[in-house]
Amino acid sequence: MPSNYFMSIEQVAEELEKAHYIADRALATVLFLSSRLEKPIFLEGEPGVGKTEVAIVMAKLFDTELIRLQCYEGLDAATSLYEWNYTKQLLYIKLMEEYGEKDKEMMEQIIYSPKFLIKRPLLEAILRSEDKAPVLLIDEIDRSDEEFEAFLLEVLADFQITIPEIGTIKAQKKPMVVVTSNRTRDVHDALKRRCLYHWIEYPSFEKEYRIITTRLPGIEERFARQITRFMQKIRSVDFLKKPGISETLDWAQALMTMQKPYLNEDVVMETLGCVLKYRDDIRKFKKEIWADSGRRAAFL
Amino acid sequence: MTHRKLFDKPGLGRQVIRFARLLKAQGFRVFQSDVLNALCAMEEIDLGDREDFLSALRVTFSHNDIEWALFPTLFEAFWGHGWHQEETQKGGESGLEQESLAESRLHPEIVPDTACQGGVESTENDGREWLEGVAYSPVSGVEKKDLSSFDTADIQVARLALKRIMEPFRINSSRRRKKSGRSATLDFRRIMRKSLKAGGLPLDLFYREKKKRLKRLVVLADVSGSMDRYARFVMPFILGLRGIGSRAEVFVFSTSLASISSAVRRMNIHRALERIVELFPDWSGGTRIGYSLHQFNKEQGARLLNKRTVVLILSDGWDLGGKDLLRREMAALSRMAHCVIWLNPLAGDPDYEPVCGGMRVALPYVDYFMPANSLESLKRVGLLLSKVMVH
Repeated sequence: MPSNYFMSIEQVAEELEKAHYIADRALATVLFLSSRLEKPIFLEGEPGVGKTEVAIVMAKLFDTELIRLQCYEGLDAATSLYEWNYTKQLLYIKLMEEYGEKDKEMMEQIIYSPKFLIKRPLLEAILRSEDKAPVLLIDEIDRSDEEFEAFLLEVLADFQITIPEIGTIKAQKKPMVVVTSNRTRDVHDALKRRCLYHWIEYPSFEKEYRIITTRLPGIEERFARQITRFMQKIRSVDFLKKPGISETLDWAQALMTMQKPYLNEDVVMETLGCVLKYRDDIRKFKKEIWADSGRRAAFL
Repeated sequence: MTHRKLFDKPGLGRQVIRFARLLKAQGFRVFQSDVLNALCAMEEIDLGDREDFLSALRVTFSHNDIEWALFPTLFEAFWGHGWHQEETQKGGESGLEQESLAESRLHPEIVPDTACQGGVESTENDGREWLEGVAYSPVSGVEKKDLSSFDTADIQVARLALKRIMEPFRINSSRRRKKSGRSATLDFRRIMRKSLKAGGLPLDLFYREKKKRLKRLVVLADVSGSMDRYARFVMPFILGLRGIGSRAEVFVFSTSLASISSAVRRMNIHRALERIVELFPDWSGGTRIGYSLHQFNKEQGARLLNKRTVVLILSDGWDLGGKDLLRREMAALSRMAHCVIWLNPLAGDPDYEPVCGGMRVALPYVDYFMPANSLESLKRVGLLLSKVMVH
């Protein structure tokens, strides 16, 4: 279904905005192309710029399910594709023995039926595509081992899985696939080659402001601008981990919950933990920026 | 989407192929399928919109952050400011001139005459152009070049080439236990799991063997004036090696020693080095290798040095400090570590002899002495590391 869902890039941008995701035109273009050419998207960018969010919002747009595969070291085919439910099979056999069932053929057919299959995300994505293709999110692929990458390649190539006892299952419609990476290691070219690549930048002032006001509708306009200015400014400083949009939203949310709809020196100091997450960064911020009244004023 | 349709716009198709060739000359990794994808994408978007056109080419041709950042400049250089749909459809003479202009402007040295010749010939022979576009790669020219003679235009190409060189060296160290056909230890976990199939009867026995483990890598890099440029090239390479680089302990020294291990784990080496300069204002003085090594042995030696440690020193050996101190510290280092690798960019010269005092004193204690002054020799360093690091 996704392949002819979007008619134009403008439509993508509009619908994204309706779903409360503010995207620039370049991102809208890659989403449009991905759905038209039926190619996976490979998203990279600093942590907290909204990579995972893209998949979530796409699922919302297509009004379909989001199937998420979180990668980690040691992830393998059994935990990402399928596994036979051995315990259930054994219990079933025992049960049948009690009843005096002797037909070996039939028994085999039953215990190797889909009912005894534990469906993991990738198989799920293929099975669910019967009526409405789901969105498959493969999150933080850089955390998985390279063996898994090679295996994934095979699945992404034609969305087809062979289970020896059942046969080959092929996806009726190709799911939309979003692969994200935090670049802790390079992902192999073979995988990237099959995807459309997109790098998500930190947002511009205008974009970040719009994101805050869309996500937190109750926020005061002046306050939103103040937060945006602070965040834009803080990203120009050389920190170990620059805060992303998720930090911005968390912070704004926190300040609103604390009923402090303005920024001043005390408020910033109290809630700095929402923005900077490393001890070194906090120390640097306090020493180099906050101690200097001129620089401090520029932030507020 | 079909191939037949693509040939309806021969001018545009040809231009995209030329553009792909330009990207390749700039060190991009361009696959045949990328060109096809780009052409398919052209079918979907409005070619009149410059921004969309750029985005479509960008998502199909770039594959990592360096390429992504580099793309707009190259796009601008090739398609120019006065880009019109009509012009590209026309292809022909103006397109050719534009291309060779763009190429020569961007790359005075690396793009040799053959590129332009290829462009001219291609008007007569289209099939050949395709071949050339794919096979031609001036990156190989960069490989033999001395790192210090790189100008700014080359640096990007070199960074991309470096990324490519690094790829084969994968030193795996996953925590996953390796399954094995024969060995003495039984893999009970696996046996139990598999025996469930047979109702708890262990029909098949499985064994396991120890996974190969990696040694610890300690990098000591000289970043004093003469070495700074090399360090900036060589360090990303070593630290980028999969498996070992990301967990290496990294120290830099000129007159004294400083650890940047935690910094390089979170940011790239260039920024880490800039931080060091910030932290130590009197940074670029002379080099005191002996004293720096002494500092290392004293403060970090007990923690880091043992027979599972590979020490990699990056320095040209010009030393202002005392020779006795250097000899003593090198001896201590080589005694405690598994092996010592010394990368000296000067050694790339075939007539090189360790004339400077420091190098001559240190050499007897060095297990591997290598040049590391060009991308090609870096490749050899990678090979060596993948051998000595495993145990």
